[in-house]
Amino acid sequence: MGVAIRVENLTKYYGGPGGTKALEDVDIAIDDCEFISIIGPSGCGKSTLLRVLAGLHGFDTGSARMFDAPIDRPRDDVGVVFQTSNLLPWATVRKNLTLAVEIRHGQAAAAAADVAGMIDLLNLNGFEDKYPHELSGGMKHRVAIGQALMQNPRVLLMDEPFGALDALTRDRLNVELLRLWQRDRKTVVLITHSIAEAVLLSDRVLVLSERPGRLIANLRIDLPRPRDPSVTRDLPAFGDHVVELSRIMGVV
Amino acid sequence: MARAAAPRSNPLVAAAFFLLVALAWEFGVRWFEVKPYLLPSLSAIATAFWDARGLLLEHGLVTLGEVLAGFIAAALLGVLLAAAIHVVPIARSTLYPMVIALQSIPKIGLAPLMVVWLGYGFGSKLVMAFLFAFFPIVIATLGGLAGVPSNLEEHFRALGASRWTMFRRLQVPAAMPNFMDGCKVAMPLAVIGAIVGEFVGSNNGLGNVILTATGSSQTALTFAALLAVTLLSLALFYVVELLSKFIWWRAI
Repeated sequence: MGVAIRVENLTKYYGGPGGTKALEDVDIAIDDCEFISIIGPSGCGKSTLLRVLAGLHGFDTGSARMFDAPIDRPRDDVGVVFQTSNLLPWATVRKNLTLAVEIRHGQAAAAAADVAGMIDLLNLNGFEDKYPHELSGGMKHRVAIGQALMQNPRVLLMDEPFGALDALTRDRLNVELLRLWQRDRKTVVLITHSIAEAVLLSDRVLVLSERPGRLIANLRIDLPRPRDPSVTRDLPAFGDHVVELSRIMGVV
Repeated sequence: MARAAAPRSNPLVAAAFFLLVALAWEFGVRWFEVKPYLLPSLSAIATAFWDARGLLLEHGLVTLGEVLAGFIAAALLGVLLAAAIHVVPIARSTLYPMVIALQSIPKIGLAPLMVVWLGYGFGSKLVMAFLFAFFPIVIATLGGLAGVPSNLEEHFRALGASRWTMFRRLQVPAAMPNFMDGCKVAMPLAVIGAIVGEFVGSNNGLGNVILTATGSSQTALTFAALLAVTLLSLALFYVVELLSKFIWWRAI
């Protein structure tokens, strides 16, 4: 397995050097097809780090590379899912699902995309021609993830994609995310503030400190796959990982 | 989108109240023997309206043409100017202050100048309707363009959207509801502009009818023409309202 993402000695200030230091000497290597979660207290710069990886933010020193190319702009083979579902209110579910493909590869590619398959995969049958305001919060986020997956990206970057949802919906979407990932095995970087979510989903959990964000832990999660929340959460190792991460983050 | 239910007005109560006011007018004028050239009775106005229906229709069509031409020009140029101000940095620091300054000129004061420049015909009325309708459309559209949610703009950037794609697929549809709001304000103003233009110098149009009827003490005809202007304005507003039903979304 090759390395998908390599970040070395990355430091970033808000508003350039002299401003607030957001990230300090961050070193990360993420393997191809690895599922990584990054957790940390709010304001630790984890969203900033994701935006650097997405090519949306620059940085001041160090380097950030993806598949051996410097990240200096948004890449075509990266899908980003944000905390807000970011659907176009005037477009149907179908149009929203193909939006990313259309913008990246044009109308023809969007028309040829397998929307029906994605609708099936997301359990959104019957909602193809609904508008976002007719969907529940959980459905909107499924569409947002679907839009990212329709591009068939090599890397999926997710910034607290379920942060605004209630616990039950969040659990359901985690199950779906596991199912999708176990099917496609993409490289996933998930930003979250939920320790349990990070342990449940990831191969590895990285912990950032309070601002300026520094990497303070890199924990391998050796739980068997395929995982299923109802089973995995009852494994002793699951609890051990949660406790260990809680201790690192100073929660206990 | 969930909206709070507005307190409902009872149409029966409204109709009864209107009827009461109408009766008070009709019989008040008779009892107090108000001179007809000061305030004719409602029935006299209705009779004048019916008797002059051919005249009112003829001149109403003239005014309608002026209003529509001015309004359409205002809508087209208004959107173009707003887009230019939004997209071209130099336009923001040159055209925008100019728009604000010009907006502060009382448009009524320009009417005599337009007659001098463009004569007594259609042109000066078109320009007056245009001047009244233009600024609300520019300001509303600019507000819409500036109010595009930043999370959607970031989403488009993450998809590598070009500025043109971002403009066409995000900013234009996001600004449409504001543009329609501007049109709703602008349409009755366009009617006022055309009437003002006709007051200052014209050979036809409903403003001309009002002026000549008042000059010859045919006050009932004045009221009939006013009624015609009001109906015209209402009808045009309703058309805009109908069109705006197609723009039902709000980009929030």
